[in-house]
Amino acid sequence: MISRISYCGTDQKGKIVDIDGGIGAVENIRSLGLEIGDEVTVRSRQNGRGKIHVVKNGTEILIGHELSTKILVECVEQPKITLDKIKVGDAVKVVKMGAKGDIRYRLLDMGLVKGVKLKVVRVAPLGDPMEVFINGFYLSLRIEEAANIDVEIVKIHKGNGHSKKRWGLF
Amino acid sequence: MHEDQILVALVGNPNSGKTSLFNKFVGANQKVGNFSGVTVEKYEGVIKHRGFKIRIIDLPGTYSLTTYSPEEIITREYILYQKPDVVVNVVDTTNLERNLFLTTQLIDIEANLIVALNMYDEIEAQKTEIDLDQLEKLIGTHFIPTSATHGKGISDILDHIVDLYTGKINIKKNKLSFSATMEGFIERLANILSTDPELSEKYSPRWLAIKLLVSDKDVYKLVKDNPIWVKVNDILMEALHTTKKEFDSDPELMLKEERFALIRGAIKETVKFAPKKKKTVTEVIDSILINRITGLPLFMFFMWLIFQMTFTLGNAPMEWLQHFFDWLGSAVGEIITEPTARSIIVDGIISGVGGVLVYLPNIMILFFALSFLEGTGYMARAAFVIDKVMHKVGLHGKSFIPMVTGFGCSVPAFMATRTLKNKSDRITTLLIIPFMSCSAKFPVYVLIAGTFFAASEAGNILFLIYLLGILIALFTARLLKSAVFHDDSEPFVMELPPYRMPSFRILVLQMWQKASIYLRKAGTIIMAASILIWIASNYPISEDIKTEYEQFRNDVTLSDKYNEDEKAATLTKLELQEAGKQLEYSFIGRLGKWIEPIVAPLGFDWKLGIALITGIAAKEIVVSTMGTLYSLGNVDETSQDLHDKLLANPNYNKAVALALMVFVLLYIPCFAASIVFHREAGKWKWTLFYAGYTMTVAWVMAFITYNISKIFFL
Repeated sequence: MISRISYCGTDQKGKIVDIDGGIGAVENIRSLGLEIGDEVTVRSRQNGRGKIHVVKNGTEILIGHELSTKILVECVEQPKITLDKIKVGDAVKVVKMGAKGDIRYRLLDMGLVKGVKLKVVRVAPLGDPMEVFINGFYLSLRIEEAANIDVEIVKIHKGNGHSKKRWGLF
Repeated sequence: MHEDQILVALVGNPNSGKTSLFNKFVGANQKVGNFSGVTVEKYEGVIKHRGFKIRIIDLPGTYSLTTYSPEEIITREYILYQKPDVVVNVVDTTNLERNLFLTTQLIDIEANLIVALNMYDEIEAQKTEIDLDQLEKLIGTHFIPTSATHGKGISDILDHIVDLYTGKINIKKNKLSFSATMEGFIERLANILSTDPELSEKYSPRWLAIKLLVSDKDVYKLVKDNPIWVKVNDILMEALHTTKKEFDSDPELMLKEERFALIRGAIKETVKFAPKKKKTVTEVIDSILINRITGLPLFMFFMWLIFQMTFTLGNAPMEWLQHFFDWLGSAVGEIITEPTARSIIVDGIISGVGGVLVYLPNIMILFFALSFLEGTGYMARAAFVIDKVMHKVGLHGKSFIPMVTGFGCSVPAFMATRTLKNKSDRITTLLIIPFMSCSAKFPVYVLIAGTFFAASEAGNILFLIYLLGILIALFTARLLKSAVFHDDSEPFVMELPPYRMPSFRILVLQMWQKASIYLRKAGTIIMAASILIWIASNYPISEDIKTEYEQFRNDVTLSDKYNEDEKAATLTKLELQEAGKQLEYSFIGRLGKWIEPIVAPLGFDWKLGIALITGIAAKEIVVSTMGTLYSLGNVDETSQDLHDKLLANPNYNKAVALALMVFVLLYIPCFAASIVFHREAGKWKWTLFYAGYTMTVAWVMAFITYNISKIFFL
């Protein structure tokens, strides 16, 4: 399955299959010594929006967060990831609802149960909360609330990197 | 004509069009009240259909029948204990999956249920097809297509209610069947529970069993003290153990997942969705209104617009009302000649009623705007955009609008907190609104800053005053949330409903309901309070002062030292002096003198003490009271005479001026606002805290300001 390298955990292996970005992103990635078709292993990653450390043929390469979201890799296993880390446009499936207390009931009552598919629609202008599309309606939840929901990748939405698209409406 | 009345409860998700449907049923023929003990509004109306009286209660919108919000508890308890003859579940047909979740819970609770498939016209327009017969078979209740916007299906529903009540039709009571494992536990629990006569008479054993499995606190309490508890608890423990071991889950999670799976299955079998259009209207609007770049500026613009509408647009009718009451006062004053009666009626009653009514235009405009935002669906987006900032101090995005409104007037701001569902969010927001400097305090700042500071400094000082208010508000929110409530704000798990155009009729109706709540409840008390304040500032009258000044006036009139013009001027001066002396002698005056030791550390003298006390009636009165005390007659904040008098007083300086402005900013809002606060907060405990806290903060901050600025300016 296709994933973003930013979603992959430590020791996860993958083959770079595509770059989700413009010419600039492709060049930046090339300048790091990465090409489409390369096999890479994630060595370690910093928390949150930190950098990611990958190994290609024994060479260690450090990729910034923003760039790492643009590298699409073909993985054998599903990355273990939580909803808060998912990029706008990508579709995921709920694996486990880890939220506790009040929030848990609210999320369950809204249909965020195991197996349900959802799509990240947008993040609020200030970066929190986020909006998802689920079962035919739009739901907002805070990033910290989304951090308790384990998901697996269903579909990567290509084209977020194209800044042209963002302005298409105007 | 039948004697019996059919009790019908409307239940449904928020944004399901339940309120619109309710309005179609009963029209303007409705009453607003509160559910006992909570500030959730209760709407009800009685209509006649086929000779039956049908009493319809519009229960608050809710997603579920658990006990996590007042709305859920009210709905559940109403169905359990009021036992309505028919429950009409209003469902948004464009969003069946989530809406049917509540329906399945209503089936569990064994309500006499019919479902109104609302917004059915939208489904038809989309060319989505629903096999209603099959859906009825699978879910097990009657589904009736309706459209509140087009008024369709209304009489169908009413017919159904009557037929159901008279037993002409019967609704097959389906049970939702869960997985074999869960059904096993439910059955065993239900069997034990049905042996308890007390419980099984009141509740359905199956419902109790399901609720026990989802660890419902209230049902736990119901069952816990019964002798059967031991057996019940054993099965619950076993359920917990089995689900953990075999499915790595828990009974609650499994039941909820199965419920959604059942609904999904039913929808798959009965609904043929039309191919999805590329972009819905809502998606297009949202891509502009809550876009990462334009979202925030547009939000700010809308907030500014509401504020401007409420306080600029509302200003004109407010002034007309003011003029009308002034005119009425003088007209009535000419008719009544007896001075005491005239004073009571003109200065007490007429200005008291006027004081209540002047807020009405603001309240009506604000609530029209808020209902519009709520009705279109933008309100949820506004909270979405600003939540990050509010969450920093432990509040919810929805607290922003009442806070901003507080800059205009606390009365509508307190009322606007009704949109907040979480109790601690609501009380916290109510308690920080007083620190958002309201527009009535503005004249006081202009007078004081303009008198003691150069024009170039005054603007900065005004800005600092407003900023201090906001900082104190944020600090208070943080403090209350961490020290008093110990909880986070309400989770932001919130639906962003599709944009819809609200009906103008409903907007007007809602505006009028809010206004009448204000008039009925607050109006009477505020009026009584204004009259009391009037009495306190006019009585007792000192006969000595009266005779003394009469003597002075006689002396002047008889004297030949002055010409006619000088005589008139002196007489006015004497009259004003007398008014000042009488105010000093009145109850309020004595109170002001009596509190002098308390305000002395802030640099205030008894004159300021009196002015501040009268300010509790209304903040702008602070200015006119100072005028009276300095024998100046009618003054306003730009009055040059008052400037000169204040500057001439050796007790006053820049430090006192700053402390005074800080005190006016922070101390208890006017009487009208405080009464509305009490109504909204609901408990004396909070009103006392509100009074004590605002006074303490005002005193402490004024004290600090006075002492620090003494170092700089003296």
